[in-house]
Amino acid sequence: MFGKLDWSAIPFDQPIPLIAAAAIGVILAAVLGWITVKGHWPYLWNEWITSVDHKRIGVMYVMLGVVMLVRGFSDVMLMRTHQAAAFGASQGYLPPEHYNQIFSAHGTIMIFFGSMPFIIGLMNFVVPLQLGVRDVAFPTLNSVSFWLTASGALLTNVSLVIGEFARTGWLPYAPLSETSYSPGVGVDYYLWALQIAGVGTLMSGVNLVTTILKMRAPGMGYLRMPMFCWTALGSNMLIVAAFPILTATLAMLTLDRYLGFHFFTNEAGGNPMMFMNLIWAWGHPEVYILVLPAFGIFSEVFSTFSSKPLFGYRSMVLATLFIVVVSFTVWLHHFFTMGAGGDVNAFFGISTSVIAVGTGVKVFNWLFTMYGGRVRFDTPMLWALAFVLYFVVGGMTGVLLAVPPADFLLHNSMFLVAHFHNVIVGGVIFGAMAGYEYWFPKAFGFRLDEGWGKLAFWLTVVGTVVVFGAFYIVGLEGMTRRLQHIDNLAWYDWIMVALAGTLLIAGGVLAQIMQLVVSIRHRDRLRDETGDPWDGRSLEWITPSPPPVFNFPVLPDVHGEEAYWEIKQRAIEQQQLSEVPDYQPIEMPRNSPTGVITAFFCTFVGFALIWHIWWLAALGLVGAYVTFVVFAWRDEVEFEIPAEEVERIDRARRESRQVILERGAPA
Amino acid sequence: MSDHKRLDGDRNDSAPGDEGVNTHEPLSGVKGYAIGLALASLLTAAAFILPGTGLIWGPAIPAALVVLAIAQMGIHLVFFLHITTGSDNQNNVIALAFGVLIVALVVLGSVWIMNHLHHQLMTPADMMRMMR
Repeated sequence: MFGKLDWSAIPFDQPIPLIAAAAIGVILAAVLGWITVKGHWPYLWNEWITSVDHKRIGVMYVMLGVVMLVRGFSDVMLMRTHQAAAFGASQGYLPPEHYNQIFSAHGTIMIFFGSMPFIIGLMNFVVPLQLGVRDVAFPTLNSVSFWLTASGALLTNVSLVIGEFARTGWLPYAPLSETSYSPGVGVDYYLWALQIAGVGTLMSGVNLVTTILKMRAPGMGYLRMPMFCWTALGSNMLIVAAFPILTATLAMLTLDRYLGFHFFTNEAGGNPMMFMNLIWAWGHPEVYILVLPAFGIFSEVFSTFSSKPLFGYRSMVLATLFIVVVSFTVWLHHFFTMGAGGDVNAFFGISTSVIAVGTGVKVFNWLFTMYGGRVRFDTPMLWALAFVLYFVVGGMTGVLLAVPPADFLLHNSMFLVAHFHNVIVGGVIFGAMAGYEYWFPKAFGFRLDEGWGKLAFWLTVVGTVVVFGAFYIVGLEGMTRRLQHIDNLAWYDWIMVALAGTLLIAGGVLAQIMQLVVSIRHRDRLRDETGDPWDGRSLEWITPSPPPVFNFPVLPDVHGEEAYWEIKQRAIEQQQLSEVPDYQPIEMPRNSPTGVITAFFCTFVGFALIWHIWWLAALGLVGAYVTFVVFAWRDEVEFEIPAEEVERIDRARRESRQVILERGAPA
Repeated sequence: MSDHKRLDGDRNDSAPGDEGVNTHEPLSGVKGYAIGLALASLLTAAAFILPGTGLIWGPAIPAALVVLAIAQMGIHLVFFLHITTGSDNQNNVIALAFGVLIVALVVLGSVWIMNHLHHQLMTPADMMRMMR
């Protein structure tokens, strides 16, 4: 009846996961209870859960990302404290099989359910606003994408209490991940959680590529798009091109595990090396999927806070497209030591060094954007500045690792761990934080508290420098990654330094949460009345904060590279706003529960397949398909907002805009 | 190029699959799809029938099949994927080129890497021989 699932799946003998799960359960029950008592369910259901508004979906993506980043960070605390207590005679407090699950869950969650939703959420929220359009190309599909991602995240976290997670590392290398070496359900959790979330990511990629190529405001040619839209285009092209490779590779591993195939096994003609090859053919583009949008965020931030147009816009576009293509020619540098010969290693070593040129172009453009500008050091700009310093170090150690002979020494060492955290934390996480601080006022209508924001910034940046600085050193001294127990006492001091740095980052995380709490409490004082709190340059700042559901009462007419800046300057010069437009009724897509219901069924499909509960899997698939059919046969697609309503909303906006005219009045 | 194109005014520039898309193409709508289907079926049938008929010299059959396959791809591209030389077909063409490039990189790269590995490393059988 329940396949492999019985009471032994729940780890009653392990206090840590049980207590953690109980705590999460209590918090969840409290939140759900509070929502029920306060009667917020109709609001949540109508305005958020079934919403197809790109802004709402973007916010939910970011919320999922934030929660999962904190979840992944709790794994960090476990790993750092455990390693600090696992030297020589002392054994630490995590048994090997549990420790292995923790580092695997850390990587999986941070990449797939922390960084990806955060970055996709920012793209979802910002791209249509910057392009000057009302929504993404396929609004309901967008909702399905989000809920499928949430479904994958849920499955990953369910593994904490029911069964186990993979012990294979964040990429389940064969043959370790085959049934002969990983007979439990851990790898199955990994496979199905990622397949479900991966479908969501792929659809989100298709959606955003279509939006950018097909739905720009009148006059917004490709070379007038803000830089963030360009990098979002690059990132989503990579999603469309690379995620099918991940899906196919994981499907082959699934066939090996479920139906006795031999794609990646040791015996019967299987080839485990092929798994490494294919997973990294997806894995390296994935790095750029994450970091390209972050580059876009920094471009926006540098230009806005330097009060100057972005330096070298066209070279920035070229560098982005260069990275998109070249990111598909470097994947072997993840397994130089696999045993390919000199010419293969040399080719991929050189191509890896070459891809750094694209990033180098960008770094110089950011520096020249600041040069001669009036630089304002608000929190988003601080993150951007720290990113440049930090990322250049990470990039240079990357070029060092791209030299095959050096890589043979440093492969799988803590030096490597330091390198990729250096670029992913310094690039993606700093970028996500800069974007969060920068666009938060747009999303919610009030600014974030600067004091707590700066405290969080300094704690986090100093903490990461300390942690990964220690990792670089200890890696050069020969420490390998993923050690559950450490014999060499010479590394003790550096591991303690890393622990201290981790505590600093924990302080940063707390300060970040405090910033949100304090800002919500003082939201009236921090209110953004004008919709343009940073003196911005692109179209999202022409709308009020938060933007109305239709974003723009009339689609803006774009005449140059910095669409909003030109409109604003013209208005300030002439000391009057543009003419009152002729308002027309606006058609907007209807909300739809398709996304959340599909994901509901998909969660059961995933859970059932993990535990071999075949009837439930069939039931879930039928449910998901029926949901799709019901949606496909819908009659009313859109609702209309009357012209008077549009005019009423826009009148309020125009009144608040008057403030900007006075603020920027020529002396 | 598209710099000054007013996207709202150019309704022909809509997504593939939209109703009314490609109506300005010579082979549009149901007629286009019907011709495409007929040609595709013809080429598929030919691939199965020709080798048995003896019309083609035996050793040339693989080459003939390759020719038919390439023709088949062409039919699909023109009639189903609407890759034409039309002015607003840029996106489709670029998407196709990008897709072909990525597939080529990954497939050829994998073949190269795995072949190289095969030459460099001992197979289990080699290892057994060496250990003897």
